[in-house]
Amino acid sequence: MLPVFDIARPSTVAEAVALLDDDHVAYWGGTELLLAMKMGLLVPECLVDLKHLSELRDIRQDGNRLLIGAGATHDEIATSATVRTLAPLLADVESRVGNARVRAQGTIGGNLCFAEPRSDIATVLMALGGSVRLESVDSARSVPITDFVLGPYWTAREPGELLVAVEVPIPAADGIYLKFQVTERPTVGVAAVIVPSTEARRLAIGAVSEMPRTFEFDDWSQADPQALAGELEPVPDLTGSVEYKRHLTAVFIRRAIAAVEGGTA
Amino acid sequence: MTAQTDARVGVTATVNGVEISRSVATRITLAQFLRDDLGLTGTKVSCELQVCGACSVLVDGAPVSACTYLASDIDGRTVETVEGLSAGGSMHPLQEAFVDNFALQCGFCTPGFLMMAKALLERNPNPTEDEVREYLDGNICRCTGYRPIVEAVLDAAARMRREASGD
Repeated sequence: MLPVFDIARPSTVAEAVALLDDDHVAYWGGTELLLAMKMGLLVPECLVDLKHLSELRDIRQDGNRLLIGAGATHDEIATSATVRTLAPLLADVESRVGNARVRAQGTIGGNLCFAEPRSDIATVLMALGGSVRLESVDSARSVPITDFVLGPYWTAREPGELLVAVEVPIPAADGIYLKFQVTERPTVGVAAVIVPSTEARRLAIGAVSEMPRTFEFDDWSQADPQALAGELEPVPDLTGSVEYKRHLTAVFIRRAIAAVEGGTA
Repeated sequence: MTAQTDARVGVTATVNGVEISRSVATRITLAQFLRDDLGLTGTKVSCELQVCGACSVLVDGAPVSACTYLASDIDGRTVETVEGLSAGGSMHPLQEAFVDNFALQCGFCTPGFLMMAKALLERNPNPTEDEVREYLDGNICRCTGYRPIVEAVLDAAARMRREASGD
């Protein structure tokens, strides 16, 4: 049973932001928040319902950036013609997040703010060099995803801030995201991309450790899957031991690089 | 305020074609509302973590886990549950195909599979076997009867395409 709480339904973003604090939390699809509340991990006084704010679901190109409203659902992003054209890797990853119900209800903003260490989205956005737009009553800032995710379930967002949009630089890096998954969340996810502006080879490795890590190389030949997996600190759980997860990670790094090299050769 | 007593909100929605109006506590889930208030016990509750799919229903055509969805969020929306599949007095092609393909054993997961399959066929009337498997991968059958379930969905899709084309 969920704990007792109020619901507020602000009609503008400004109204919503004015309400947010430690006890008044942003509420979209509820796919993470309601679970945490059921388990008693979060007991907010009030859910600030943002589902009705269509301006926060907007997906569009703005100059050399792709802007995705924080309230866009995984399914909306996966099927958006704009995202599929400008950032096809993100659309692909979004089409495989969680299950079909999570994709229909869960939002990209909620996913990132919850900072579940096995989030596919955080990992791929790190590979794409994405950032998030945070607004509060008296401030607005952009934070690279690499600085936004600080640890498991921990981000740089202040309680009075609302994540309003995700920004992806375009032309976006392209490549592949491979994951191994036997439960509802991945055991390891590896993004391997080529950054268009610098031709740098970038790896983002998520799910296996407490937070995603990125690595950059001038050439894929410099990436040693075994050594990279050795640098990570896998979290042992029901899906595998530290040793097993290191092995699995090295295999997926090797496969991801091979796939990207094959695609660009 | 420090909420100690239940806050309540008014909800007006269409459930299986019937308009309902109720006052619900904010913390009541859609699964609790359907089962306890409306008596629609076809929607099953199992994991309560939106992992197993037993409580899958459709809200405005989109699949949701009713265990992790607030009843107050159906206000102004249309809800379809397994009871709605045969609301006209005859079984839905999906139900017929599940029977003909022996796509159930204990039956507990069946309402969820039926509603997910309905959502799939509404967006993709001609799915491949892989697409069916992928879309249903968030639904668990503890009797492990997955193969006949996938066959039933493909069979239902073929029946519905034939109906749609008037053959």
